[in-house]
Amino acid sequence: MANTTLEISRMQRFRERGLKWALAPAALVILYVFFGVFGRSYFSYPTLVNIIDAAYYIGFISMGVTFVIISGGIDLSVGTVMMAAAIIGGTALKHGFPMVPSLLLIIAAGLAFGFFNGIFVSRLKMPPFIVTLGTMMISMGVGSIVSNVSSATFPIRGSPGGWFKDIFLYLGPHGRVIPTGAFLLVIVAVICHLLLSNTKLGRYTYAIGSNIEAARLSGVDVKKWQMLVYVIAGGTAGIGGISYAAIYTTVLPAQGQGFELYAIAAAVIGGTSLSGGIGTIWGTIIGVFIMSVLATGLPALNLQAHWQTFFTGVIVIGAVLLDMYRNKKASEVRIETPADAYKASMLEKIAAMKQKRSAHRAAGEAKEAEAVGREIAAARSELRETFAKMKAEHKAEQSRIRAEEKTADREFVEMLRLKDLPKQGETEQP
Amino acid sequence: MMRIDKRFTGVHALRQVDFDLEEAEIHALVGENGAGKSTLMKILIGINQKDSGEIHYLGHQFNPRDPRHALEMGIGIIHQELNMMDHLTVAENIFIGRESTKAGGVLLDKRGQIRRAEELFRRLNMNIDPRETLGRLTVGKQQMVEIAKAVSHRLRTLILDEPTAALTDAEIDELFAIMRDLAARGVGMIHISHRLEEIHRIANRVTVLRDGERVDTKPTSEVTKQQIINMMVGRVIYEQPKIHSSVVPQAPVVLRVDRLNAGKLVRDVSFDLHEGEILGMAGLMGSGRTETARAIFGADEVQSGTLEIRGRRVFIHSPQDAVANGIGYLSEDRKRFGLAVNLSVKDNMAMATYDRFQRGPFIHAKEVRQVSEDYIGKLNIRTPTLEQLLRNLSGGNQQKVVVAKWLIRNCDILIFDEPTRGIDVGAKSEIYTLMNELTREGKSIIMISSELPEILRMSDRILVMSEGRLTGELPIEKASQEAIMEYATMGHMAILSRS
Repeated sequence: MANTTLEISRMQRFRERGLKWALAPAALVILYVFFGVFGRSYFSYPTLVNIIDAAYYIGFISMGVTFVIISGGIDLSVGTVMMAAAIIGGTALKHGFPMVPSLLLIIAAGLAFGFFNGIFVSRLKMPPFIVTLGTMMISMGVGSIVSNVSSATFPIRGSPGGWFKDIFLYLGPHGRVIPTGAFLLVIVAVICHLLLSNTKLGRYTYAIGSNIEAARLSGVDVKKWQMLVYVIAGGTAGIGGISYAAIYTTVLPAQGQGFELYAIAAAVIGGTSLSGGIGTIWGTIIGVFIMSVLATGLPALNLQAHWQTFFTGVIVIGAVLLDMYRNKKASEVRIETPADAYKASMLEKIAAMKQKRSAHRAAGEAKEAEAVGREIAAARSELRETFAKMKAEHKAEQSRIRAEEKTADREFVEMLRLKDLPKQGETEQP
Repeated sequence: MMRIDKRFTGVHALRQVDFDLEEAEIHALVGENGAGKSTLMKILIGINQKDSGEIHYLGHQFNPRDPRHALEMGIGIIHQELNMMDHLTVAENIFIGRESTKAGGVLLDKRGQIRRAEELFRRLNMNIDPRETLGRLTVGKQQMVEIAKAVSHRLRTLILDEPTAALTDAEIDELFAIMRDLAARGVGMIHISHRLEEIHRIANRVTVLRDGERVDTKPTSEVTKQQIINMMVGRVIYEQPKIHSSVVPQAPVVLRVDRLNAGKLVRDVSFDLHEGEILGMAGLMGSGRTETARAIFGADEVQSGTLEIRGRRVFIHSPQDAVANGIGYLSEDRKRFGLAVNLSVKDNMAMATYDRFQRGPFIHAKEVRQVSEDYIGKLNIRTPTLEQLLRNLSGGNQQKVVVAKWLIRNCDILIFDEPTRGIDVGAKSEIYTLMNELTREGKSIIMISSELPEILRMSDRILVMSEGRLTGELPIEKASQEAIMEYATMGHMAILSRS
């Protein structure tokens, strides 16, 4: 008996916690298998490389955004900051900057925009939505101004400086493709994960997002940590900019609008709460890959690319809805009705019978086991019918009481109206 | 004829309370914090449901479902905190939810609304422009708008919850004139107030509640202020008060506060805190105790005043400075200011102390776990695991987690603001034992509490505040509930004339 209760509680714990963490990865695997079965040549190495390729830039910026969202803020500027940083680096390259400093410049530009956001949010206490909305437009403008509204082209493979493409996609001598960027993505993810879970910065990010006032009253330097969170978002936008340049070679000015929303969507699909204090890097990465599997998989089903946005939207809403529903279920206070009590007692009986059956089986008494099995089935159907009936009775009773109360009220109001009370409005001043 | 008669057998909050209000009467309802005044009123307007008992309204049995229902029946309430929309105009605020319309209900009839509001104000002798944006009015005027709004519902019963708390003397006079005027038109009013001086000025009768029971209802002409105080505090004391201070004579001064001023509710507050002392801070709600604590802790801006810790002048501009100087603050509102309820027990305990747990760039997770486990044992915190989210813990255990947070940080001056609010009886005595242990170890405690028995049981010395000032200091040997109440209900005129 002790054994079974243990199993039950383990099941419950899995339902409460495990499911939450297993749900998003499971969805990813199911999607991948689905496209593999129904799509044209989807289970292939090139497709896998495509999936990973499509994940880079959103992947990097979504990690930064995850920090910001966990801290209770929002960053709408990451997409355009990423592109502005890329075009700043590309323009420097055009003007004869060497490759390595240009790449570092991209990261520096990202950090600078993050710093800018951080100052306004943490020191000047402006709402993050407004500040980063402003920065989104500013960074678009800066990209155009710096590049003089012309595109920046990064070196192609084989030309001097073309090596940097190998960081993200290594082309072997025999046409072998290795998505080296995936390693980089994993490395950055590991670093972000360590930052979030094992450093002061990370723990304070959660604390600030969960209750900023409690954090401040615990002596936490809220301003400093809030600032750093935005700087990190800027930094990952810089890395994202490099990855974009490496994959797509040419960067146009005034681009990147909309990327931030995909980044936020990835975080949300991965279980990050927009009200702060909850979220993980792993969840976000899963969210990114769900979106990129959609992006590559839908064309394999002969569906146009814009179906991707459609389904991404469905998944975002579905993911959050599911999360809310589960949280509500978990914290709901249930009022026990007679029907519930009946159900509980019947379930107990059935469980006892099941035990009897397995005891019979263990003893090799097949006939008895079968008889008990029939009893169980009978009890089950009885439970179903009676439970439904009791539920319906309970509901009818409730609505009858409500109706009675309403009638009583109406009578009372009627009585008040008929009673001649002094109307306050008509009394004159003495 | 207007008569409310109600009885409950509440679990704790209200025990068989009778209350009646006559037509055209102003009935004062007094009692200490937590005596059951608000619960009683909440039941009357349908925010809470009674467990048993009956309400008779206009000779008819009446079961208010919600405030809207009560309002339909002509029962309205003016809350202590005004519930109106600052950005809308006065007229819009009054008629919100029942706007006048024209053109077949499509367009708002703004002019008609303003006319109706003007009429209303004229009738009530209020000098307010209905076109003005509400937020630009003084608090006193805003309150009058709320009264006008209530009256416009053809009210027969009006509950005023501490209407004078935020008003100036002139505004109070004006308010009372309006109240008398309403009474003359037959409106019955329930006036809840901490200012006992007012009762004789405005009320016909007074009902005193204590610990959820009605002590008595008397015409105000038959009772003195002193008698009301005695009725408010004269409860059976379940817990033995402390007889002697347990502070060693000549104990060094740990914290010296000198002429502290902050915000509206901290005026020239000066006191010393000794090593190993529990300094009780008594006073009614809104007397400035919490504000004083927050000012000392650097949570709110300080206008002037100095702080010394162990004889050394310190400058505290933020909670960070306070924590660095070894001060810990346990807020009266744990959920809002003390805890991150969505984080784990461990995270909450370590929140103030991550610096100490850092090894290189990383936090030493094992050490955090060990220290947290230590304190879970030491403070007897009941939680299944370190990872349990704080929102799943009981109030008493949450409070202990906050205490642990400050102990891990090595704070030796602790400010407990209402340490046992929302905590059940068993956990209460555990918190008391814990506080006594802490002082034995040489820590010093400032304890703010609205429960007089708690103050008398725990404190070595008692400070009493009223309207932002210290009005009394009592060594425990001389303290009594009556003496504390006397100081706590001192109006500011009395305070000024005393000094």
